[in-house]
Amino acid sequence: MSNPHLNDDELNLAVLGEDLPPGVAGHLAVCLDCRRRRDAFLDLVQEARGADPDAAARARVRERALAAWEAPDRRHWVRWLAAAAAVIVLSLLPLLRGRAPAPPVINADAVLVEVEKVLDRDPLSAVAAEEIVDTVVPVSYESGERSVS
Amino acid sequence: MASVARWETTLGREGERELVEAARRGDRDAAETLLESHELLVFRTCGRLLPPGEDVEAAVQETLLRALRNLGRFTGQGTFAGWLAAIAVNLCRDRLRRRRLVPFLSLEGREKGEVEPLSAIPSSEPNPERVAMARQAVNRLHGEVSRLPRRQQEVFALRFFAELDLGDIATALGVDVGTVKTHLHRAVQRVRVAVEEARP
Repeated sequence: MSNPHLNDDELNLAVLGEDLPPGVAGHLAVCLDCRRRRDAFLDLVQEARGADPDAAARARVRERALAAWEAPDRRHWVRWLAAAAAVIVLSLLPLLRGRAPAPPVINADAVLVEVEKVLDRDPLSAVAAEEIVDTVVPVSYESGERSVS
Repeated sequence: MASVARWETTLGREGERELVEAARRGDRDAAETLLESHELLVFRTCGRLLPPGEDVEAAVQETLLRALRNLGRFTGQGTFAGWLAAIAVNLCRDRLRRRRLVPFLSLEGREKGEVEPLSAIPSSEPNPERVAMARQAVNRLHGEVSRLPRRQQEVFALRFFAELDLGDIATALGVDVGTVKTHLHRAVQRVRVAVEEARP
């Protein structure tokens, strides 16, 4: 045999079924070793591909895809509904705002007059109840007993 | 075996275009014929590009449905197979991205032989040692392919498992044929050498 064995690049070309230079192709035609290397890889790839799905699995998947294709595409409806709802809410927003209860108007003068009246009736009403108790009726705790001093 | 098989349908380009047109108009029979003649390609593509644990049937179904819903976008410049493979590859990429966000099963699973379906090799062969060696070789090949860069993995799977020709692979991946060749040569070199080195 005059030609050397195929190098890596040539073997890759052979594996991929691409055109080989004439000398290389001639060598491959007569060299059992080089053909074995090429075929071993292709056989392994074929094996690694695994089994194809059976007819029942293929039919099942195909039917499901066709059924989904024929069914009305609900995604469009959902998008339209969402858009319509957004438009409705946006258009009603000013109306909803108008109907909301108005914030109470505080008349400061009237409040002050009312406070004056209360204080006139009972000066202590402006003081917190606890303070009144502490000041007028002081309470102390001695020996765990409550006593009034 | 002397060369890789090539994906072909009996429809022919003209028949394919007519079926696409009819399916576009809502003809169920045309759509069914179109799917029937190409679904194996999608099974093989999804089956090899998706990691173990992914529902291949669901991915195939989704690919076929996307194709049917988008038939209007098929220009007819390339083959239907290339266009369909593009949808399958994109869907697989989406699922892989999601898988990376929520890791569930390692991509290395195949390499370790944990979950690899080796239905192609019957376990009841008379020579168990030979069967075990064949399994090891297949696992080794899957392991090497899974370690390839993503684009090389896709090119390898589309060429050797889905049996698409270079033009259809280029269509499927949105690159030119020269780029496909470059990736394919690098992938074959790496996988072939690794497999040969591991051979006893």
